[in-house]
Amino acid sequence: MTPFVFLALLQDGLATGAIYLLLAVGLLIAFSVTRVIFVPQGDLLALATLTAAQLESGQVPGTLWVLDALAALALLLDLARLRGRMRWRALLPWALYPAAVTLAALFGPRAAPWFAKLLALGVITPLGPLIWRFAFRPVADAPVLTLLILATALHFVVAGVGMVAFGPDGASVAPLVAATLLLGPFAVSGQSLAILLCCAALVLALRFFFAATLTGRALRAAASDRLGARLVGIDAAGSGSRAFALAAFIAALSGILIGAATPIAYDAGFEIGLKGFVAAIIGGLASYPAAAAGAVLVGVLESLGSFWSSAYRDVIVFALLIPVLAWLSWRSRGAGGA
Amino acid sequence: MMLPAYYVTLAGYIGLATIVALGLVLLTGIAGQTSFGQASFAGLAAYATALLPGTPPPLALLAGLVLTGSVAWLLGLITARLSGHFLALCSVAWGISFSALFGTLPWLHGFNGIGGIRPLTLGPLSAADPLVTVAVIWAAVALSWLALRNLLDSRPGRAIRTLAAARDMAESMGIDTVRLSRATFVLAALAAALSGFLFAHFQRFISPTPFSLTASIEYLFMVIIGGAAHLPGALLGAVLVTLLREELTDWIPRLTGATGNFEAVAFSLVVIVLLQRAPGGLFAVLRARLPAAGAPVRAAAAAPAHAAAPPPAAGPAPPALVVAGISKRFGGLAANQDVSFTVGAAEIVALIGPNGAGKSTLFDIISGQLRADLGEVRLFGHPVGRLPARHIAARGLARTFQHVKLLPGMSVGGNIALGAHLAGRCGVLRAMLRADRAEERRLHALAAAAATRVGLADLLGRPAGTLALGQQRLVEIARALCLAPRLLLLDEPAAGLRHQEKQALAALLRQLRAEGVAVLLVEHDMGFVMDLADRVVVMEFGRRIAEGVPAAVQADPAVLEAYLGGAP
Amino acid sequence: MRARLGFVLVLAVLALAAPAARAQIRIGAILSVSGPGAAMGVGYKGAFDFMPHEVAGRKIEYIIRDDATDAENAYKIAQKLIAEDHVDAIIGPSLYSSDVAVQPLANAAHVPMIAMAPLVPEPAKFPYSFAVAQPLSLMVAVVFRRMAEQGVRTVGYIGFADGWGDQVKAAALTAGAATGIRIIADERYARTDTTVQAQALKLMAANPDAVMMGNSATPAALPAVALHRLGYRGGIYGNHGIVSPAFIRVGGAAVEGVVADTSPVAVYDQLSDGNPIKPVATAFMDRYTKTFGPGSANPFAGYSWDAMLLIAHAIPDALEKGAPGSEAFRTALRDAMERTHDLVGVSAVYDMSATDHNGQDARAAVLVAVQHGAWTAIH
Repeated sequence: MTPFVFLALLQDGLATGAIYLLLAVGLLIAFSVTRVIFVPQGDLLALATLTAAQLESGQVPGTLWVLDALAALALLLDLARLRGRMRWRALLPWALYPAAVTLAALFGPRAAPWFAKLLALGVITPLGPLIWRFAFRPVADAPVLTLLILATALHFVVAGVGMVAFGPDGASVAPLVAATLLLGPFAVSGQSLAILLCCAALVLALRFFFAATLTGRALRAAASDRLGARLVGIDAAGSGSRAFALAAFIAALSGILIGAATPIAYDAGFEIGLKGFVAAIIGGLASYPAAAAGAVLVGVLESLGSFWSSAYRDVIVFALLIPVLAWLSWRSRGAGGA
Repeated sequence: MMLPAYYVTLAGYIGLATIVALGLVLLTGIAGQTSFGQASFAGLAAYATALLPGTPPPLALLAGLVLTGSVAWLLGLITARLSGHFLALCSVAWGISFSALFGTLPWLHGFNGIGGIRPLTLGPLSAADPLVTVAVIWAAVALSWLALRNLLDSRPGRAIRTLAAARDMAESMGIDTVRLSRATFVLAALAAALSGFLFAHFQRFISPTPFSLTASIEYLFMVIIGGAAHLPGALLGAVLVTLLREELTDWIPRLTGATGNFEAVAFSLVVIVLLQRAPGGLFAVLRARLPAAGAPVRAAAAAPAHAAAPPPAAGPAPPALVVAGISKRFGGLAANQDVSFTVGAAEIVALIGPNGAGKSTLFDIISGQLRADLGEVRLFGHPVGRLPARHIAARGLARTFQHVKLLPGMSVGGNIALGAHLAGRCGVLRAMLRADRAEERRLHALAAAAATRVGLADLLGRPAGTLALGQQRLVEIARALCLAPRLLLLDEPAAGLRHQEKQALAALLRQLRAEGVAVLLVEHDMGFVMDLADRVVVMEFGRRIAEGVPAAVQADPAVLEAYLGGAP
Repeated sequence: MRARLGFVLVLAVLALAAPAARAQIRIGAILSVSGPGAAMGVGYKGAFDFMPHEVAGRKIEYIIRDDATDAENAYKIAQKLIAEDHVDAIIGPSLYSSDVAVQPLANAAHVPMIAMAPLVPEPAKFPYSFAVAQPLSLMVAVVFRRMAEQGVRTVGYIGFADGWGDQVKAAALTAGAATGIRIIADERYARTDTTVQAQALKLMAANPDAVMMGNSATPAALPAVALHRLGYRGGIYGNHGIVSPAFIRVGGAAVEGVVADTSPVAVYDQLSDGNPIKPVATAFMDRYTKTFGPGSANPFAGYSWDAMLLIAHAIPDALEKGAPGSEAFRTALRDAMERTHDLVGVSAVYDMSATDHNGQDARAAVLVAVQHGAWTAIH
């Protein structure tokens, strides 16, 4: 392996690792607040790419109607539950927001790449809270394993929506940066840089959100002590909804970043999501820095593994879990039986 | 009569799925763990037999079982001490690696699979007739079912039932939950392997696809739909999912005009609704609608005298318990600070103090559920501060819990017999083969004797969850007695008891003392405590503030000030 | 659950009583419409929307099933089609491993099946199996002859880590041996991968004269794009699995110049006028675009069409020997199909015999290249 090849592999691995990092962060947010291992996150990623691609080609994506239908259903159910006691402010998100997105999709300049990408973020992000609303909120206190099985079932549902809405063919979106930067003999892809920058920006934004905003701090409190947060009046269901919105937003952003010049089909997201899991597990499903390190490790290892022996790449990546889990397990020995 | 081939095949597939699902019921519904790797376990055995064409089928089966069992054991070893969802996620990684490996390794014939696997033969019976294989499959279903039913009604079976929600309690009964949950995982994998072996000889063509992650998830869905907590749920789920998929593949294209893998979506929606509305699955729904059969009352065997003989007293016996300088912090909260006291052999000591004084934390430290930050615990002269709970239990310490930890669905007798775990030796294999009956009778006799001592002899057959709270506390005491303890830790044993019951309890504890058993109890009923205890230790804010005979403690100004709040 | 089992038994008894012979002809089809093979399966299924509903005065009933790209499913479906629906012939499966799984079943029940994956029929062993998809050896050989003409001596292979990747590799080895072209690298990636940068770098390091791709549908564009970005100068060659407009849409400028084999129907309007397939394929594609709209053309639809063509061609003969639903009819159907001579389909001219149940010749393979953003035939 020449230094040139190594640098090229490293660049590719870092870009992929940055996507895994985003997904791992989304998973950790959802897991720490709601204890849900958000399996369909990868499928939302694929939906985001396909939605943006279809908008770019001037079509109206089927996911928009899915959003409208689910939001309408949520609105109806909330209305029925509240009956006389209208609390309009609570209901508005399910009426005003989808209407705005729908109007923007129908009458806005949807084929413009930047607008299509923003709109795709706008369509996919609210699917997170809707998934929380319909699938998880009714069983928010169930054991982790029950929630995991439920999330797995949701993976098939979301992928099924993708198959119906977009068909089996993959699609890609226009890259954010088409240019390639030449550093001497070494070419750096502009999109790779864009991915790394977006990833860094999002991580910083999240840090600010969790440290300095009221909503963010409430979420953090809900994550560290569910019961305590409830006692001091932090609305647990609302926290779940917000955590899922964040996770879905992160998935959608990842989809738009990774889908540049790379065809993503309706069923491609699941495996990307799984790599995000591997990273999150390396972080023990608790530590953000460890998960970030894990994500970069997975990305780079995958890139190097593909070079060494492409047929065994997945085996190499998943085999990474074994020493990590063994170490986590060994470390937890000291904590006693539980 | 010849059954049409299609139904024979369908019956075969249902049987194959049932075997995997039975294993999953044990693992998921009863032991509270989940695996996304069952199909890949089936694949290991299927490939093993396909790649050993010259070997007699029983040997090929054995090879598959050994291979699968070893892999499952290793996976279990890696995640042994992590919460259940780590094992589940680890099995995802394993499932994917399996597919990748089996599609790639050249000697496994790649993604296009292996064809022409010989069918199973039964002596002179026609080899080509699928009926023969289907008969073998259903025989395997029956055997697996029987083995698992035997297992669940046995010493290891009772212990397995604690894995889902009561591991702490199980450890304090001397049960090695880590080893047991690994054994459960291996058992479920072996069931899958049996199914995979039969699958290879039934379909006579294998490729990596039917052993994929998706296939594993489908098995899981079967169990959730059928009902994960009971063995019939496995059959119900396998039948429903297999038949419904056949029907759905016919009907969905006709209804929607579209062809696609909508069965998976349909099953997923069913799973979501069931998990939300009926987590017990359809079997639980069906059973709730059937008239409840009267719970059979297990006839209590003639109860032999309880043999809690004091240890031969050679020289001055060491104190039963020495607590020396124990400190424990949770974050910023100091639960115990430098607590010291002793409990002599054949002495009843009461630990009292207001709520939040750190009494239950101290109990957890003594019994090994928690580890102290500082200080030492000695049991009969031996330091036990670093031993796990189950080893401390084996050294003669038994305890009850402030928040009752019983298996509500299990009979009172079964719950009490959990305490007799260390009095038996029969493992999983002997239990499945029903070779444990003599020992089982002995353990149940122990349980019945303990129940008699606490006055529950008439309630042995009742589900423990149906008892009043006070009686549930008595079940816990009986369970603790089954350990034949030399030191008994009772956490609020009298709470919820009526007056006569309290009297009986006090009498029982005095009798135990006479037999040489030391007792440490936490109790809020001051009358009960002052009447019964030889000595009283008072705690407040994690510290010991007083110690002495009841009369002295009652007169101690510090106690009056802090605990009794100046009341007379 | 006892009731459920009872239900199955009742169904079983009812099925026993079902009359076998009937007036209409029943054709079963097993297609991979969902799962990893879906991108091609959609084409296979499309043709059924305008298949003939009457042949030789008999009504034709189609029963179309999706095996979700899973051989186990295909096996179950075939069992049901044979035992419960009493189909007279099976079109498909469209997935290779499904063909392998279903073949013994169909032959044991004496039901003719027309595989649509590149299965190589073995009439001596499986007399009821036919295949309409061109054998991969035939298709890949065309590509390798082109390479040889272009002076290629070494080839780097990159394909899916799945059955298709394995099959194209095997065909490439054979074709390479015949043309003296060495395969000096074998790289794999998963259909759902998002980057093949590493594999492309490895190929670049091996520095072959050309790259051969064993992949299909839109993910096939990945290696071409990656190699283009790395500035690879050699030719990029593919197989008929990549010949679709979607491949060019996703690959853009990077796939300009990619050469592949394909079925004549994919470039029906560019075939030379003397080609007997041209009018047949043109008529078929007119019907396809009329049903699904312009730009929808999918060459895989042609296999379903040709499979039915073979059956339809054999039906008149078979009707003389027995009624639909009877074994006599199915056996006669098989015999008649085996006697097919010079039947012009949309992807080949079929000339069957007792030893050749594929019946195709070089006319079944056409060489195409991406030129100015469209698949263009190379004559």
